[in-house]
Amino acid sequence: MSITVRIPRVLSQAVTSGLRHQAEGETLGAVLDDLFIREPGLENHLLDEDRKIRPHVLIFVDAARADLETPVGPSSEVQVLQAVSGG
Amino acid sequence: MMRILVGTEKGAYLLSESGSDWQVEGPMFPGWKVTAFGQTTGGTHVAGVGSNWFGVGVHHSENLVDWKPSDSPPAWPEGSERKMEQIWTFHNDGDRLLAGVAQAGLFASDDGGMAWDPVTSLNEHRTREHWYPGAGGLCAHRILSGSGSMWVGISAVGVFRSDDDGATWVAKNDGIPSVDTAEGGERPEVGYCVHGLAHDPADPSRIWRQDHQGVFRSTDGGDTWERIEEGLPAGFGFVIWRHPGTGRLLTIPLESSENRVPVDGKLRAYASDDDGASWSVAGSGWSDAPQFTGVLRRAFDGDGDSGFCFGTSGGKLWLTRDVGETWQELSASFPRIAAIRIVA
Repeated sequence: MSITVRIPRVLSQAVTSGLRHQAEGETLGAVLDDLFIREPGLENHLLDEDRKIRPHVLIFVDAARADLETPVGPSSEVQVLQAVSGG
Repeated sequence: MMRILVGTEKGAYLLSESGSDWQVEGPMFPGWKVTAFGQTTGGTHVAGVGSNWFGVGVHHSENLVDWKPSDSPPAWPEGSERKMEQIWTFHNDGDRLLAGVAQAGLFASDDGGMAWDPVTSLNEHRTREHWYPGAGGLCAHRILSGSGSMWVGISAVGVFRSDDDGATWVAKNDGIPSVDTAEGGERPEVGYCVHGLAHDPADPSRIWRQDHQGVFRSTDGGDTWERIEEGLPAGFGFVIWRHPGTGRLLTIPLESSENRVPVDGKLRAYASDDDGASWSVAGSGWSDAPQFTGVLRRAFDGDGDSGFCFGTSGGKLWLTRDVGETWQELSASFPRIAAIRIVA
């Protein structure tokens, strides 16, 4: 199965191939790990030193807020949201 | 033709001299703070970027236009209680590229800035439990090296020196008032808020220091420090720079720790041509209009020749091409300027 992962434009500088990616895995964590193989520059920006999702980064699986253990189905879509606070 | 990299609160810009005007390209890294610039000995440019939400990154470029991210920027080991908050500075020590970061630490790269290892001899110094952040955070922001020694300035902690290629470090702050010690109290080993360092490449033991508590110099590699503020309107500030050719020193005084703007709104660099024994306003060209703005600790650079540029927290750039005899304010405005690098 191939899951679509969308990242916000602000992270475009950290990847090599656009804002829409394909990855595989049965949990969000596994999907991200698979994505990081091809886009290693993304890992540091989504996960912190403890390999947890950064405190102010929101990731949704099928429109529901997810953590790394959240199951991902074969037709799921993962969306990393752009933070909107700040001046 | 001079080119100036400007790192700001919102992206980076490249200014290229074009006749009597400047061409501005950018923003590069839109949406990111750009906090440090450097260059490997191989000529590759590096930039340190950061975000309030997405952590920090290090990017590389051969042409200042196309940038590629490092796959493994400086990071604290998994499980560390420290957070990687900002890349503050890059420094070349031989072929090794060093990075000073917040929360305070020193990292080293032997592959041109692609992979980074923590310098544990400093990062895990026996005084570490007594390192506390100042207003600018807990940051290692200035690195000097020469004649077999290295100095690292850490805000609100102090200056450390290594004489054995980074194997061991000794705090070097004698003569500097502590940020939190009552008069007559016992001097702590750390707790000295260095803001800037410059030294004489021909004699690296001659060091000048812009500190939270004033302007100081050392002639013995930091073993002792003496205050040198004659002629300055205030001792507070962040900038200390030494021209490699003439030895002229420049600093940009701000009123005080509590009020970090130029005294009476008069933004001026002050120069010393006697190793800091006395200071006076550097040259001409300054604006008479009130300018209540500051200059941050990495927001200046020299070009190795006679050029020097600084950027303000109000987003303006000031440039001299004659080591501070005449000054020009560039017309372009930018977001809050954090980092400046003049490139050939």
